Amino acid sequence: MTGVVSGGWGFVWAAYAITGGALLIYGVMLITRLRDEWSRAAGEGSGQ
Amino acid sequence: MIAALRKELLLQWRTRAQFLAVFVFGATALLLFSFAIGPNAADLRKFSAGFLWLGLLLSSTLTLSESFHAEMENRAMEGLLLLPADPRVLYYGKAIANWLQLMVLGIALVPVMVVLYDAGTTKIPMLLVVIALGAAGLSAPGTLYAAMTAQVRSKQTLLPLLLFPLIVPALLASVKATSLLILGDPMGSLGSWLTLLGAFDAIYWALCGLLYGRVVEE
Amino acid sequence: MLEIANNRFPRTPYYLMGIGVVLLLVGSYYGLFVAPPERYMGEVQRIMYVHVPTAWNALLAITFAFVCAIAFLMRSDFKWDARMEAAIEVGVLLAFLLCVQGAIWAKPTWGVWWDWDPRLTTTAVLLFAFLGILALRRFVDDPVKRGIWSAVATIIAYVDVPIVYFSVRWWNSLHQLQSSPDTVSSQFHLPLRVNAFGVLFLMTGFIMLRARLASLRHVSEVAPPPMLAEEAGEMA
Repeated sequence: MTGVVSGGWGFVWAAYAITGGALLIYGVMLITRLRDEWSRAAGEGSGQ
Repeated sequence: MIAALRKELLLQWRTRAQFLAVFVFGATALLLFSFAIGPNAADLRKFSAGFLWLGLLLSSTLTLSESFHAEMENRAMEGLLLLPADPRVLYYGKAIANWLQLMVLGIALVPVMVVLYDAGTTKIPMLLVVIALGAAGLSAPGTLYAAMTAQVRSKQTLLPLLLFPLIVPALLASVKATSLLILGDPMGSLGSWLTLLGAFDAIYWALCGLLYGRVVEE
Repeated sequence: MLEIANNRFPRTPYYLMGIGVVLLLVGSYYGLFVAPPERYMGEVQRIMYVHVPTAWNALLAITFAFVCAIAFLMRSDFKWDARMEAAIEVGVLLAFLLCVQGAIWAKPTWGVWWDWDPRLTTTAVLLFAFLGILALRRFVDDPVKRGIWSAVATIIAYVDVPIVYFSVRWWNSLHQLQSSPDTVSSQFHLPLRVNAFGVLFLMTGFIMLRARLASLRHVSEVAPPPMLAEEAGEMA
């Protein structure tokens, strides 16, 4: 571990991109699933 | 407590043919592991402790997932819960029986390991202590998870999925302690691994007994 | 349950997520472009500005799941079951990201993707333990049993975390002890803290939304209308 680790921007970008992408995808998926569930619940409610 | 344990041991004695099959399974696993390394005696000896415990772990999922088989048939579990007995007594009876079975299995696998990997040790009593503590670490959470997964479809997948990550510390300590016995212990660190194993056992034997009542309640 | 059903589109989680995203953008901008490269680690140090906040929050989510598990076992209120499911799922996501970031950090630093560092290894064990619990939830149809069993499994897995950590640290003790890169200067602290709060807000929003989803599912599961029962079975 002597000396400076030079470069490595690729690793930095990869880490940020994967994290941001995963959080974004999860968030979008969550909202979509919730909307679906709401509309399903609403449909069931009006059907009775 | 004694009655519960006697019931479990009687059940196990009746299914001894299955136990033999599990032993053969474990021994086959030990044989197969050596093909992953190749016929290098020194390497095989170095990894023998890990192979022994992995073999025992794989075999244990078979015995554990079958250990509630009798209760699941004819809904005997409900009958047992109606008895004026603490569910904890039933749990400890089952867990001790599983522990004894795993211990016998572990001891039976040792000669296979010695022959296949040339990994003998003269410290037999110490090895027995390690196997006893390691088997206890497998059986306490294993029995609890078996009680859950026995009632679930695809229990054969679910039990290892839940159990394997959990027993990492026990596996690590057992492998390390066993390999120190086989390969020698220049640093004198066997005691600390046994302490870790003992602590793991104490925590999970207490915690699982405490939680078992909630798992089987209707 | 009723108050959730009445409140059609919950606002609070979206506000929290918005704040979280803004904080994350600010913190990451600062961490990527403003903060100077570290003395030894150089540019790779910048991974820490997202790695450390993820680690703190993953631990927080799992701890919250543990609290929910105890609350569920004591109160038998399915509100806590829904929160536990949400916290476990978000915690698993963060733990997965943590492992990926850890591997990305390890490659330029130590030359290998996986270093058996106690923290990284413990995270991996934790990830698999809680993935197992999520799988268990999928396989149990009875909501009561599912709640109790996954709460029991959560408690058992949570207690395991410190034991795994110490055993791996012991096991790997011959290895040189890796010190974390020093983050003493305030220039290193600022993006770390901003991002930590960013992930915290985002995660809280996620958990709240996910818990609502679980509550909704629970409601439709307990009382499925006869016509749609088959469809609900397919969805679950």
